[in-house]
Amino acid sequence: MLWATFDIQAHPRRSTAHVLSWVLFILCIAAYLRVSEVRHRENSEDRVTPSSAQLFEGIRSSVLQPAEEDSEVVDNSASWTQRVRHSMLWKDTVSSGRRFFISLTLLVPAVLIGMHIGLFPYVGAFFLRFVLFFDKIVALSLLPILFIVFGIDEWSKIMLMVIGVAPTMILDTYQMVKAVPREQVVKAFTLGANNIDVAYRVVLKQILPQVINSLRLNLKPLVLFLFAGEMIASTDGLAYRIAIMRRHMGMDIIIPYLLWVALLLYSVDLALRLLNKRLHPWY
Amino acid sequence: MVPCKRARVGHYKESRVFSRTPVARFLLVVSVAIASVAVCVLPANAAERPTFTVGWSIYAGWNPYYYMARSGILKRWADKYGIEIKVQRFDYAASLDAFVAKNLDACTMTNMEALDMPAASGVDSTAIILGDYSNGNDAVLVRNGLSFSQLPGKSLMLVQKTVSEYLFERGMVLNGLQDQLSKVKLINTSDSDIVPTFLSNSSNQAAVTWKPLVSEILRDKHVTSIFDSSKIPGEILDLLVVRTEVLRRPDGSGERFAKAISGAWFETMSQMAAGGAANQAISGSAAASGDSVESYREQLSTTFLFSTPRSAVDFVRNPGFKQKMDLVRQFCFQHGLLGQGVRSVDDVGILYPDGTIHGKKERVRLRFDVTYMQLAHEGKI
Repeated sequence: MLWATFDIQAHPRRSTAHVLSWVLFILCIAAYLRVSEVRHRENSEDRVTPSSAQLFEGIRSSVLQPAEEDSEVVDNSASWTQRVRHSMLWKDTVSSGRRFFISLTLLVPAVLIGMHIGLFPYVGAFFLRFVLFFDKIVALSLLPILFIVFGIDEWSKIMLMVIGVAPTMILDTYQMVKAVPREQVVKAFTLGANNIDVAYRVVLKQILPQVINSLRLNLKPLVLFLFAGEMIASTDGLAYRIAIMRRHMGMDIIIPYLLWVALLLYSVDLALRLLNKRLHPWY
Repeated sequence: MVPCKRARVGHYKESRVFSRTPVARFLLVVSVAIASVAVCVLPANAAERPTFTVGWSIYAGWNPYYYMARSGILKRWADKYGIEIKVQRFDYAASLDAFVAKNLDACTMTNMEALDMPAASGVDSTAIILGDYSNGNDAVLVRNGLSFSQLPGKSLMLVQKTVSEYLFERGMVLNGLQDQLSKVKLINTSDSDIVPTFLSNSSNQAAVTWKPLVSEILRDKHVTSIFDSSKIPGEILDLLVVRTEVLRRPDGSGERFAKAISGAWFETMSQMAAGGAANQAISGSAAASGDSVESYREQLSTTFLFSTPRSAVDFVRNPGFKQKMDLVRQFCFQHGLLGQGVRSVDDVGILYPDGTIHGKKERVRLRFDVTYMQLAHEGKI
């Protein structure tokens, strides 16, 4: 009887499925709390696994207290909105978010290049071999060169993200274009379409949902490169703060930061998923 | 094989039972594997002599640990005290993490990190060896002959919240520019990339870092050093720190460890100080970081090594020592390095050899213990 539960054909009830989906969350939280409690019993000032009270205090100070560099700008009488706007979490999120979205925008040309490589033989001949090779270069090791070319401000970090992720996006798009049946392209031409029509209205339109899914998978590498850039040279950003906090084991700030980043990424992913559903209900 | 065959012809219920056998077999294999690994690993530690692990990271004043282990000096001292001492190289930050997580028994670190990493995390720590102090190893570097008074409003590259920032602040304070400190824009830059990043762009005006990176940056003719740690001698100390609970192990093995490592260290130091062109200790220590002997000697020229236990003991016993530590602990507190929740600088207490305490008596977390250096001086180890 019990083994029937694991059948491929099983139909768990909605509520059961819901409960099951939370089990691992609860297990992880419980395991963490347990470890934290054991460590605190041994050393009440332990910072490696902060207790829930320490974490709560960390969240409070990162959201409501002015960041270290702004502590002179905001005094205690400031309204809470003002406090939040000068808090480290808000400031870091804004500056990291800006970098993130700029590089996300810069990935759009990458998708278009990928499509052209797949469709237009001359473009393919020109780009494909180079992109295939360039994709294999470990972007992080290019960082010193990026610093020389783009300086240490915003652009070197944004370019690190773009250079890291764009080749993957280009090649992925190329594969999707190749998977579009050739007959469709030929048919479109016989119906009187021109090159632009075929590229943008026949091919791009039907690979777009896959492109968005590919982008969703690439969100994490994107953030990974963002973090690498921010940890190496910066004055603000989520990873900057984590790097600073690491210097004195400020796990009470780092853990909330990591969860916050995960939540943000999850929401971007969710937004893209919903967008995809909305734009391409047929997919 | 036989049950499987039968299962295929058997009726439904039976086949279900037998279809589980591959799973069961898999579980059996896994559990046997785990058990055998456990059997191999566990008793290995139990039967042998007490083992201590020392973490060190690349720095002119710590490289001798590598030579000390390689040359057999350490082995000889460990044998004398009937213990086992392992020496392991780490990245600096990782070594501190490992020490705080109690995966290391002893670790090399500066006085500042001793205070803001283990001590501030509630890991009671004891500094047993004072190895050296930075006497020019850390430096503030500028382009085009800028001075301290021109730095406000400009950006400065450094690894924030480390001795680099401490050195910079001390430089500003000693130049009477304390109130201008917040106007300097600090760019947190990883030490692994600070050299190419600073040199790549001439719009980068200033940086703070340490040797050998300083020497690499100074090869650029437009860059000069305007302040270095030789102007604040004895404030940036390099220590060997042991967890106090290890030192106080009831079986006395912790004390034997402290004696053994102190003996080995000062024997190494006397070899380092011996001079001579073909000094084995110096070439062996240079090899630790892959430096040439020449470059390593250059780094040593700005590192004040305490070559005798006597000099180290005297330094710690000097009243000026406490004033220097007070500067460091105030810096740590002002920068939040003692922890977000710490309201007072006195919450992380420091105990000195004469029994005086900085901070709260019941919250002593960092202890300077000259017992073992004293014994080494008296030749009693």
